[in-house]
Amino acid sequence: MGLRSWAAGVASGAPTPAFVVAGAGGRWAAEELFLEPRVAPTLSPRAADALIVVGYLTEGLMPAVMLAHDQIPPPRLAFQWLPDGAPDDPLAAMLPGVRVVEGGGLVEVIRDAHAGLLAGRGGGHEDAWPDVDPAPWRGIGPYGQGGKGMTGGVPYGRPLTGRADDRDGLKLDRLDVRVGPLFPAFPPGLELIVGLQGDVAQEVSVGQNPFEGALEDDVFRRALREAVPIAELEMARARSHLRWLAGALRVAGLPSLGRRVLSLAVRAKPADADRVSRLGRPLARGRGLRWLAGGVGALREDLGGPVGRAAGHVSDARSGVDEYRALGFEPVTHEGGDALARWRQRVAEAEQSLRLADAAGDATVGPPDVVEGPRGPLGAGPLLELLPDVLVGMEWGDLVTTVVSLDLDLEEAAVGAGVRA
Amino acid sequence: MVALGAALVVFLFWTGSFLALRWAGDALHPPPETAPSRVPFLGGRGPETHAWSRFHVRYYAMALVFLAFDMEMVFMYPWAVVFLEEGLTAGFEMLMFISILVLGILYGWREGAFRWA
Amino acid sequence: MRVLAGVLATVAAMGIGVYLAAALDALAGRVVGRGRLAVGETLALPARRGLGLLLRPRARTERPDAEAWALAPAALAGLAAVGLASIPLAPGLSVADVSSGIVLFGAAMALVMVAVFLQGWAPNSVHPMIAGYRFVAQALSYEMPLALVLIGAALPAESLSVGAIVESQAHLWNAIRQPLGMPLFLIAVAGLAFWGPLALPEGEDLVGGTSAEVSGAARLTWKVARLMVLVAGAAMTAAVFLGGWHGPWLPGPAWSILKTLAVLALLVWARHRLARVPIERFVWVSWVVLIPLALLDVFLAGAQALWAAP
Repeated sequence: MGLRSWAAGVASGAPTPAFVVAGAGGRWAAEELFLEPRVAPTLSPRAADALIVVGYLTEGLMPAVMLAHDQIPPPRLAFQWLPDGAPDDPLAAMLPGVRVVEGGGLVEVIRDAHAGLLAGRGGGHEDAWPDVDPAPWRGIGPYGQGGKGMTGGVPYGRPLTGRADDRDGLKLDRLDVRVGPLFPAFPPGLELIVGLQGDVAQEVSVGQNPFEGALEDDVFRRALREAVPIAELEMARARSHLRWLAGALRVAGLPSLGRRVLSLAVRAKPADADRVSRLGRPLARGRGLRWLAGGVGALREDLGGPVGRAAGHVSDARSGVDEYRALGFEPVTHEGGDALARWRQRVAEAEQSLRLADAAGDATVGPPDVVEGPRGPLGAGPLLELLPDVLVGMEWGDLVTTVVSLDLDLEEAAVGAGVRA
Repeated sequence: MVALGAALVVFLFWTGSFLALRWAGDALHPPPETAPSRVPFLGGRGPETHAWSRFHVRYYAMALVFLAFDMEMVFMYPWAVVFLEEGLTAGFEMLMFISILVLGILYGWREGAFRWA
Repeated sequence: MRVLAGVLATVAAMGIGVYLAAALDALAGRVVGRGRLAVGETLALPARRGLGLLLRPRARTERPDAEAWALAPAALAGLAAVGLASIPLAPGLSVADVSSGIVLFGAAMALVMVAVFLQGWAPNSVHPMIAGYRFVAQALSYEMPLALVLIGAALPAESLSVGAIVESQAHLWNAIRQPLGMPLFLIAVAGLAFWGPLALPEGEDLVGGTSAEVSGAARLTWKVARLMVLVAGAAMTAAVFLGGWHGPWLPGPAWSILKTLAVLALLVWARHRLARVPIERFVWVSWVVLIPLALLDVFLAGAQALWAAP
């Protein structure tokens, strides 16, 4: 049909909307898809035409990924992006029609397939989950009413939720939802089981960590075993903080600024310290973020890492290391321990790391006892256990702001839990 | 009256054309019928209950204050038209009316009607 | 016949306005994000994205409220068009410049709350439902500044019709005569179109909120309807605060359009530079700061009108 193919030709000029899933080892590569102008990561699978899994799938992630695949309206595309020369992922076969791309060339494959999808060829209609009603129709009439039982049939079969006590005395309904591992506002893999009354979380618990803790060897883990250049260590720390900042800006409703920070994070050099301070200071001090994050989610204990330092505790594993002291290193702290302080803390630490990398030159640091990673001393990680206590009673928007401000990494937490050293 | 009729026609035209667009979209690309594709998106597994529930609308106190102000707004519309004719007296009368309602805001503020978590 | 011309006029105005708003938004995104600024490509982006959405099917959920889900974007578009219809482009050139124009506008914009709530309620899914309830809180909060500031602008005009309000600005714009009015109205318009810092029902923390379960033509109609509300609000700002069709050299309608575009550019800039406000903070600020300021604006406008009246 001429009209359809003309329309498809015009439409394929726009970025491909895709739901991006960060598998094991794929978190940062998935983030970098936000920089690709020809792919537009979406917030919900309904808005997407394609599913892109970056990295390896795990047993814990599979049900959610399969459901996200099915929630993309068919015809749909599915891709998995693996590093060059990596072994195949046995779990990927459970997604119908998935195309595995190794190394570069992912975007070209996606664009070709997407152009075909819009023109009406290609794209799968098959679902990953079987077509079984989770809650069968039990009534007789068009709304499921009538039939046997005390109240007749049940509309659609899923029950209505029941009432529970609330703080202000009104006993109204409580929705228990599992906000799952693929919630785009949360760190990849975080699943929260929230009892919501209205938009306030009355009960929060953390679901199973879907990652199994096979982390790739990054510079912080290498620093535990051998001497690494300080510049490399600090550059990695600055990049981690800047990437976190980009994601946090996206969740705060500033996607274009987030994109700018992300491109800075990807190409950061030690000389960029001034750019970071010019970008970050107004962000952290400006009125805009104060109304979003001021006074939200205060954590005042010494939990280590930027979270503890944002509460005013001067504890940084780097202050005990001679090579750092020689560069004039002093830990940066902020007051209050709320989400805004954590924002400011990470921006300030990114700037400090860039300046340290600039000043360090070729200096190396020998394997210390404790390496200070971007989230605190390596191996520690009490933040996940603290989440339920901190998040109870918060309104949903504040809850998401707090979770984002804690900079959780579920893969690191899985390693820290002793699954694999 | 003709102008209001025109406004009604405009409303019906736009509402109708967007409904027609939706109907045409359904005819060209039928929505999926399979069970897994219809599960509401939560980020992981599907929900266990309907989302429809007796949602605890915590801002109900603010809504009551809003009702009071809405009625005041209705009185201000004709007042605005005759204000310049009536002069300062009209201004003072409305000021008295408004200050009684502002007391309502102050009370709501003290009682925490505008915050709820 | 006149009514038909009027309807076509709203089609033209909304079509151009919505497309320009979307194009400005895409352009601003590229500029603020320091992306590759290919102006021609960026200006064509909304058309490409729109066509891409039309070629996709609509998503369904398990037990939606089908009538409400179909009606919500359509009603939102209709209400926005009625709001725009009450604004004259030039003296005598209007669709529905009734003698109580700001009441018509206020009524249409008040029902926007219902349309957005229905869009959140209909899919029977948690995140859109929370988004819908949040928008009701937001709407109840911006409603008062929206109406009060318009009443303040009606005082010097001695009339509630938008045409009369524009006429009353023949020698001095309301933005200068009533300085509190325009900032408050802009905040209210941002809340009305749930745009930028007040995009609470569409927030990323609710994974798109009211847009989380829509796809295809339904998604396109929702986005377009929301932009239509933004255009109507911007046009009202230009008419009531920036003098509408008054201006040297160019014909009246051209000034109206240019001023509307300027307000749209300002709103688009605000979206890319200001973070989203949490709902509780907005409700508190609106009732404790914005509404008293709006009341002050009304009385200052009244005092100024009495003093300036012959």
